[in-house]
Amino acid sequence: MKKIIFNLVLCFIAAQAFSQTCDGTITGHVVDADTKQKLAGASVSIPSLGLTQVTDDKGDFKFVGICDGQLKIIVTHISCDNYTTEANFKNKLHLDITMPHARQTLGDVVVEGQRKIANTGFAKQLSTKELNESKGLNISEALSKLNGVTILQTGSTIAKPILHGLHSTRVITINNGVKQEGQQWGNEHAPEIDPFIAGKLSVIKGVDELKYGSDAIGGVVLVEPKKMRTTPGASGELNALYGTNNKQQILSGSFEQQFKSLPGFTYRLQSTIKRSADVRTPNYSLNNTAADEVNFSVTTALRKKNIESELFYSYFTSKLGIFTGSHIGNLTDLLDAIASDKPDNIYLNNSSYKIGRPRQEVLHQIVKSTTSLKIEKHKLTLQVAFQNNDRSEFDIVRRSDNTKPQINLVINTLSEDLIYEHPKVGNITGSAGLSFMQQNNSYRGRYFIPNYDANTAGAFIIEKWQKHKWQVQAGVRADFKNIDTRRIRSSGDTISNIFNFKTIAASGNIARDISQNWKTNLGISLSQRAPYVNELLSDGIHHGTATYERGNITLVPEKSTNISLGLSYKNDAKTFESDLLFYNNNINDFIYEQPRPDAPVLTIAGAFPLIEYTSTDAQLTGIDHSFQWKLIPSHLTWTNKTALIFARNKSINDWLINIPSQRFTNQFAWDFRDGKSLKESSISIEMSNVLRQTRVPDPKNGRTDYKDPPPGYTLLDMEASTKINLAKKPIVLAASIRNLLNTSYREYLNSFRYYTDEMGRNVTLKATINL
Amino acid sequence: MKFRLALLAFTIFTVAMTSCKKTEIQEDNDEELITTMILKFTPSTGGASTSFTFDDPDGPGGIAPSLDSIRLDANKIYNVEVQLLNKTASPVDDITLEVKNESEAHRFYFLPSANVTIGNLDRDINGVSLGIKSTWTTTTTGTGSIIVILRHYANNPPNKLEADNASDPKSDTDIQVIFPVKIS
Repeated sequence: MKKIIFNLVLCFIAAQAFSQTCDGTITGHVVDADTKQKLAGASVSIPSLGLTQVTDDKGDFKFVGICDGQLKIIVTHISCDNYTTEANFKNKLHLDITMPHARQTLGDVVVEGQRKIANTGFAKQLSTKELNESKGLNISEALSKLNGVTILQTGSTIAKPILHGLHSTRVITINNGVKQEGQQWGNEHAPEIDPFIAGKLSVIKGVDELKYGSDAIGGVVLVEPKKMRTTPGASGELNALYGTNNKQQILSGSFEQQFKSLPGFTYRLQSTIKRSADVRTPNYSLNNTAADEVNFSVTTALRKKNIESELFYSYFTSKLGIFTGSHIGNLTDLLDAIASDKPDNIYLNNSSYKIGRPRQEVLHQIVKSTTSLKIEKHKLTLQVAFQNNDRSEFDIVRRSDNTKPQINLVINTLSEDLIYEHPKVGNITGSAGLSFMQQNNSYRGRYFIPNYDANTAGAFIIEKWQKHKWQVQAGVRADFKNIDTRRIRSSGDTISNIFNFKTIAASGNIARDISQNWKTNLGISLSQRAPYVNELLSDGIHHGTATYERGNITLVPEKSTNISLGLSYKNDAKTFESDLLFYNNNINDFIYEQPRPDAPVLTIAGAFPLIEYTSTDAQLTGIDHSFQWKLIPSHLTWTNKTALIFARNKSINDWLINIPSQRFTNQFAWDFRDGKSLKESSISIEMSNVLRQTRVPDPKNGRTDYKDPPPGYTLLDMEASTKINLAKKPIVLAASIRNLLNTSYREYLNSFRYYTDEMGRNVTLKATINL
Repeated sequence: MKFRLALLAFTIFTVAMTSCKKTEIQEDNDEELITTMILKFTPSTGGASTSFTFDDPDGPGGIAPSLDSIRLDANKIYNVEVQLLNKTASPVDDITLEVKNESEAHRFYFLPSANVTIGNLDRDINGVSLGIKSTWTTTTTGTGSIIVILRHYANNPPNKLEADNASDPKSDTDIQVIFPVKIS
């Protein structure tokens, strides 16, 4: 008994002693040195006590129960250099910490000021959550999670993004700062990019697009890798995926390291291996729809006080099978295929990983060097990039022992960009740049586009002014393009053409914060796109559509005037957010393919309808609306997206072809409270309603489409994920189900709607391990 | 510093590499192209043979193809042989050999709407109709036309059957030519 009392007393004394010296609090507030913005998500740690706190939305943090004494406090944030302070702590301490902005990582050279300006017209970015959910999808499918972005497909393996109704050469893709130069003209040419390389996927429209070209009439897709680490140490990520529908297997990993002995030098290795078998629709699987992809990239970065250099190499190779049943010889075959509601059994249910003919084999390599120099507050960046794109298409051939491709296209591109960013003058920031590009294309086999050499030179200037509730941005750009084409026909005739195009673009944007809740934005962009070689000089049968396509050398650059008006609302509690965007894009001399029913082309395989590139005045008008409503804060969120678009061919008073139909998406997501072992768990269900496209070109103006648009459809998708710790390493486990109800449907924007249904239910299991 | 030197060297290398590369000019070479179909008619009783041709020597597009009218005598039997050429190749490529070599994956169809019947088609290695050789029997005088179709079975195995018609989904069209026919 005595002993117990003694112990109690001892405890009491000890507790007293503790409360006297260890009940201190440290509070603090973290802001970004450059932008003066509150920094959320900064990690504040006291290593000697093993304590870490993360700043909240207001940039605040708080430690309680801290003992007096000498303490070292370290603050880290993803986009800042580390901050360290020491204090002789006694009872209470408040720290106002101004985080030095990291010597800007190179990615920032590309998108200027995006982070600071919330509402610049059409600027949309996949959230980390959406990016995680899109693992296993191709880059176009991932982008289609953004409202206003849809995909144009050729079967299940080939997809390219459509931004507000426009695609292909009207959309510029920037892959890690380099303008992607591949075979982008055809509908069946997908962007050659490994989606796992992206740490950030976004679409921009407006002033910032002038950095990349005057021809981004549809917008710019930005694929940016994760920022390189700025502190010594090593980290990595490993992703493993399995999809049940087409037995898709993906392994993707990255590793990066900075040595203590070599401060400022970081390298990253990244690779993805992907393999999938034949795609299964709800009722049958499609032969020869397997795909293989092998990609890797190496990045090295060197940061010194005033200079930064990055060297990047990426290798992308894919082999894509094209459904055997889609091969047709002439118009009669096409009409026969369309007439049957299901492909012949001979083309179905192999379910193998084998890829035969027809198929595409694509290799895309990029070598890029970027160097930025900071002198005082001036910044100069030089980027030199070389790209090699080698595409082979293997058609169905007569001789089964033929191993050669029927068409091989090689594009080599060298580009040089010099960008100067001037110091902030008053409230103005800005940049100016020069771009040059030299390109060579050569082909072998079946004629598609001629050999050519192209040279472009361009210059831009962008200025941004920001004060209180106003932001004004403006920019201009001019480009000069020269294309020198040569085709030697088998008869020996040489067809040579020289084209010179001048294009000018200008863009302005005004944004205003009306109140804490309401923000508005008005943007006007003038852009011009010079015709591409395929539009000028195509001449041959397009087998997928059984048409004879002919270019037109008299085409002139398209001129687009795009007006966008944005309005966003956020309530005080931040439980409801809504975003509305209205746009109207008037494009004069819009290039499209006009049927010439009066002039069919007679060939040995019968008569093919002639389709000729021609120009019209087009108008694309649309509305994107989305809202996010936290029905039960921190648990239940309702997200709604609506995308409407109307596209007119004004010259002949008709609709434009291949425009997305109206679509609506509703998602309900439930976030679970963190458990002992399961953290950040969530489950969501999404319903998308796609209406039938009724606004299609009138067959009276010449048939381009031999099948009416398919009926509308409703799809259900599900997604669930959680995070566990295994040997102190966080592992994210996720499962997604696309087309939960295994609905049979066809999509208007998939050219294979002539032949087959879309993919059926697909359950994808994913694991991400952070090392 | 070494790194920057390497960077510089690399940049120079890439610039040099591309600027030194000269455009290779390749001729159009569509090895799958068939420009010409010749139907050679030899009377079964012997005598001089006559040929009728569909000819598009520059391939699809460009100069329009030429097409002969088939002129035959009434009440006569002809042995007919088809020959296919690719005249854009040099030397001219005889496609008939390729069709013969993969006979089990090819088939000719002759669909007449004239006073002529066609039969006795030669066979592929599996004994199914091929049609490089056939027998045409004319009846009374008159005019009409005949559609000559070559179908290719792309699948492996081709699974070509005697009962397959000219629009069978297992095969697709390589040739479809409508010849005018005059029987006098």
